[in-house]
Amino acid sequence: MSGTAPEPLLIDCGRQQLRVIGALIIREMHTRFGRHRLGYLWLFFEPLLLGGMIALIHGSGLRGGGGDSLRNTFEFFSIGYIMFFAFRGMINRASSTIGANRGLLYHRQVTLPDLFFARHLIEAVACTGVMVIFTLAGIAMGGDPPASPVKMLCALALMVLVGQGVAMVVGAATSEWEALDRLVHAMSYLMLPFSGLFFMMEWLPEWMQETVAWIPTVPIYELLREGQFGDRVTAHYDLSYVAGWILIPHLLGLTGLRITRTRIGLE
Amino acid sequence: MALELIDVHKSYAMNIGRKHVLRGVNGIFRKGERVGVLGRNGTGKSTLVRILGGIEAPTRGSIRRTMSVSWPIGMAAGFQSALSGADNTRFIARIYDRPVQPTVDYVESFAELGEYLHMPVHTYSAGMRSRLGLAISLAVDFDCFLVDEALAVGDTKFGRAFGARLQRAGLIIVTHSPSLVRQLCTRAAVLDQGTLTFYEDLDEALATYNSL
Repeated sequence: MSGTAPEPLLIDCGRQQLRVIGALIIREMHTRFGRHRLGYLWLFFEPLLLGGMIALIHGSGLRGGGGDSLRNTFEFFSIGYIMFFAFRGMINRASSTIGANRGLLYHRQVTLPDLFFARHLIEAVACTGVMVIFTLAGIAMGGDPPASPVKMLCALALMVLVGQGVAMVVGAATSEWEALDRLVHAMSYLMLPFSGLFFMMEWLPEWMQETVAWIPTVPIYELLREGQFGDRVTAHYDLSYVAGWILIPHLLGLTGLRITRTRIGLE
Repeated sequence: MALELIDVHKSYAMNIGRKHVLRGVNGIFRKGERVGVLGRNGTGKSTLVRILGGIEAPTRGSIRRTMSVSWPIGMAAGFQSALSGADNTRFIARIYDRPVQPTVDYVESFAELGEYLHMPVHTYSAGMRSRLGLAISLAVDFDCFLVDEALAVGDTKFGRAFGARLQRAGLIIVTHSPSLVRQLCTRAAVLDQGTLTFYEDLDEALATYNSL
């Protein structure tokens, strides 16, 4: 025996990481929904129910208005809401991600970012599924089919990526300062009216447009609505700004998690 | 094929300043060797185990791992306690790229957990946790088994079967129990004052350890 082993290739590392993420997804589904097969349906049922309720309240004309305006359509609120639901879920769960999986860190191939990636993939799949259901429901209720489903999916992907970066930062930060968790929860609720879920830029006065354009979820909602309604809306978005909101938190989050790994105890 | 530590230092930032736990540990653990590492409480045994297991990086120095080394097998290590023993087995089989069902079957026949295999791990006794961890690690099969602390297996059918299995396996046991080292190891090292000293002769190692 020569005493040396070949260095692992990058592709082997990639395969190993995919294996770990796959195993984490299955494990996460079991802890969240139990071992009963029907429990998995809750993953879709919860956003479906909440998104449906929000759409009913805002879209049914219960709050006055009426007519054909977008403000009253089912698709506007249902799909908008589930994207926010996914985003908030990622960020609110971030502080418990490390603690809930601490025992698994005894296996050296399980890294902290893997724990986040696995959760976010589940979130993205659930959100995509519910988005499809709501889109079909909208068409069934007499609405137009979306102008560009690809743009809608891009918006969802961007939302998940922004959420992922922020979630990793929150995960790293809350493992150092636990009290931060409460602030994060409050912030994620307070963000709701400003997120872009309830408005489009073109509905706002000019001075407000400039301000809300700084909120990273607003351009994502603009893109979503352009995909949903096409020419019926004039969307305002700058995706390079969103890209910054993906890249910088990812860099900070990955670096933070690297530091966190050396600082957390293993139970 | 070996696990080699080269001038490994480890320190932690504490409120009262940096605490230096390991101060230049050198050593080589070859494939198939059965080595006991003895250390009194508070000498940095757990830190050394985590570094050997590759789940913590040294502050300075390096580790060369050219054989497969298990995760640190101990009372609690490596489980999600809300999930059942079987689910934990499946998870570990997946991340180590082993066939899932045969691994579960092996653990079922070997760990003597009975119905508990399908109960959450937090309902297990310390002995049951040890048996689960050891059985899974044997099913995955490593060149070297890294064992943290005393094995609560006792003189049961499992204990004997496990002892027999380990006679053929590479092993690093990090413990404060000299009797365990005498029972399972052929070589020993003593961890003291942040450094590791190897002894080819077990008696010499145990005598040094007892005089600490």
